[in-house]
Amino acid sequence: MFVILVYDAGVKRDPKILKTCRKYLNWIQNSVFEGELTEGKFKKLQHELRDIINAQEDYIVIYVLSSQRYNSRITLGKPKVEEGFIL
Amino acid sequence: MERMVNVFSNGVFRRKGNTILFESDKGNRYLPVESVREIIVHGEVDFNKRFLEFLSEKEITMHYFNHYGYYMGTFYPREHYNSGFMTLKQAEFYLDPQKRLELAQAFVWGAAQNITKVLRYYSNRGKDVMGSLEQIERLAALVESTNKIPELMALEGNMRELYYQNFDVILTGSGFTFQKRSRRPPTNQLNALISFGNSLMYSIVLAEIYKTHLDPRIGYLHTTNDRRFSLHLDIAEIFKPIIVDRLIFTLISKRMITLKDFGRLEGGIVMSEKARKIFVEGFDERLRQVIRQRKIRRMVSYRRLIRMEVYKLEKHFLGDEPYEPFVAQW
Repeated sequence: MFVILVYDAGVKRDPKILKTCRKYLNWIQNSVFEGELTEGKFKKLQHELRDIINAQEDYIVIYVLSSQRYNSRITLGKPKVEEGFIL
Repeated sequence: MERMVNVFSNGVFRRKGNTILFESDKGNRYLPVESVREIIVHGEVDFNKRFLEFLSEKEITMHYFNHYGYYMGTFYPREHYNSGFMTLKQAEFYLDPQKRLELAQAFVWGAAQNITKVLRYYSNRGKDVMGSLEQIERLAALVESTNKIPELMALEGNMRELYYQNFDVILTGSGFTFQKRSRRPPTNQLNALISFGNSLMYSIVLAEIYKTHLDPRIGYLHTTNDRRFSLHLDIAEIFKPIIVDRLIFTLISKRMITLKDFGRLEGGIVMSEKARKIFVEGFDERLRQVIRQRKIRRMVSYRRLIRMEVYKLEKHFLGDEPYEPFVAQW
């Protein structure tokens, strides 16, 4: 599945969330990640995040798409990092 | 959805924040460890033991290619699926000449079937390959009746020669010619493409074997023991025609790679970095492409098919189900 994850969290937890997401997804820009995951890995990610956040103050939204096939991705401007798996 | 990472730029690999960081002059790039199956290094890369430890922990294999695109070696992390029983079974099938021959025959037969699939595909597109297609089919029918491994290998060699001759027919008008198979070094552009593609294929199959209980050091068609790994060569035979060769035809016919993308080196021909990048990109795409697997009635990627092939072998060794090589259905 393809997921887009956006988060907003207190200063203390922000870097923790950032680091956790980096293990699973590609960083797109501040507090936005996206990437292809298996269901198992996706569950793992959610568990890890649940342990970090403060449920009263923080909010994470994950958009789940079953495939990328029926979506287009429109970008404007210059990307923050080069994407792709060829470095 | 684990993928292969290809590194062409020069830089430093680090373990940072429990994930992989690649620092190069293009900036820092974090790679999601959980989504990396193997790293293929083409450029000049530095790293330390800590990083290798991390790769071991995360079960990521790392393959090195030198400046000219030749396979150099693999960092094969500590085996994590240990099964003495499976190793024993694998050896048993190697040591028994009859059992070994049966497996070797299966690999050659599977490769032959996939070769004919590729030729038939081009025959349907108006390429005149029918003649050798029939010859290859006749030879494939003889696989069963071989009694010795060398005899089988000779037969395989004949089939492959016939097959390669058709590359010229399929690629007429592109400027690429096959002439004859040459390696170390490849003496023409097409041979350079085939060699590079095959090396990539071997790396991928090796990485998939790593994720199972099998020991890649025991091969069946390719003789074991005087080189490090050989099982991946056996399995790759089956997939080379449908993944590597098809990709080469596609890249050439779409003019994504042209004769200009090659350089000369000490009597051999090498691919330019740009061509290698294009090739690797196409290869990755192919591996992620999904097709319908009839038996389990589900869509699976080509990469997954390779893994399933290894599982089928495991079943064969355990006596659950005799091994039948994958044959493309298209």
